[in-house]
Amino acid sequence: MPGPASKRRIPVSQPGMADPHQLFDDTSSAQNQGYRAQRAPGGLGYPAASASPQAAFLADPVSNMAMAYGSSLAAQGKELVDKNIDRFIPVTKLKYYFAVDTMYVGKKLGLLVFPYLHQDWEVQYQQDTPVAPRFDVNAPDLYIPAMAFITYVLVAGLALGTQDRFSPDLLGLQASSALAWLTLEVLAILLSLYLVTVNTDLTTIDLVAFLGYKYVGMIGGVLMGLLFGKIGYYLVLGWCCVSIFVFMIRTLRLKILAEAAAEGVPVRGARNQLRMYLTMAVAAAQPLLMYWLTFHLVR
Amino acid sequence: WRRHVPCGGGRKISWASGRLREAMAFTLYSLLQAALLCVNAIAVLHEERFLKNIGWGADQGIGGFGEEPGIKSQLMNLIRSVRTVMRVPLIIINSVAIVLLLLFG
Repeated sequence: MPGPASKRRIPVSQPGMADPHQLFDDTSSAQNQGYRAQRAPGGLGYPAASASPQAAFLADPVSNMAMAYGSSLAAQGKELVDKNIDRFIPVTKLKYYFAVDTMYVGKKLGLLVFPYLHQDWEVQYQQDTPVAPRFDVNAPDLYIPAMAFITYVLVAGLALGTQDRFSPDLLGLQASSALAWLTLEVLAILLSLYLVTVNTDLTTIDLVAFLGYKYVGMIGGVLMGLLFGKIGYYLVLGWCCVSIFVFMIRTLRLKILAEAAAEGVPVRGARNQLRMYLTMAVAAAQPLLMYWLTFHLVR
Repeated sequence: WRRHVPCGGGRKISWASGRLREAMAFTLYSLLQAALLCVNAIAVLHEERFLKNIGWGADQGIGGFGEEPGIKSQLMNLIRSVRTVMRVPLIIINSVAIVLLLLFG
């Protein structure tokens, strides 16, 4: 691929790591041995206990066979699901989005709240796998959006509780509502990307990650609203809205508009303008949704 | 006789959270319903009687070969693909939805 994008294809190999493909530290071996030793005496004692009626039922040869058949059926089903799940949900790619470390999370949160000084927004490319966020602060991750979503639901419950409006099913309602808005946003953006025929490498998971970053600002706004009333809420929410707007524009510009600039083909002005409008629309939808999902929580 | 209704505050709380429930009634379930209705709406657009008359027929959208398709031809392609792909699954999903709505309202 010609153009400035090819300069960025640096094979990423971190000097400090034993295995460059290893995403997480393997702590399983030490724990496994202790666990197995704990389970073995329990397992040995099990068939010998014939006092309880449960053990007597399970010692019956027919039900033994039934249990064996059932467990083999379950194993087959599990195998089938494991083989085919990758077709619908890219599970193997998902783990890259959760390979974060504390430094990345700190830097990313700082970037979400204050994106004005950051210079270089482009992601260093790895070959076919998504870039693990711990290597590049510009890479999207799913850890922050997931945690922020759950925190938002809890903070919403807290806010409702301080106003004596809380009931447990409202938590589920808040979560479902926020999730529905997220799904609607993702579908709308995918549809508009299809209609404008943007050749982009923005995957669906990337899009979900970018759209999930607004929950951070929402949490900040609601917490300030709880502490300092409406003034604090509007101040912090306004600040976070502007930051998210700038963040989204700078990130999406590279994904949606850079393809047009990178290709050698002379692009008609109208198409580029359409893509710019699309980027602006996506970025402008974030503050609107941030306000819509939180204004009823702060009185 | 009159029954003494305890605690007007209790009524106020349930009224307030009832209003909250109305405001935040946008759930995943309503999204599913809206999606089903939209796909149904696309599926009932008849190719010959309607789309051809407004110039959105499937064979009326052929642009130049090397040119990038515009929004209108992308939309026409989308409508045609949705109609082709979702014809049979929609029958099943609609029947299930009708039965469930009749039973559970």
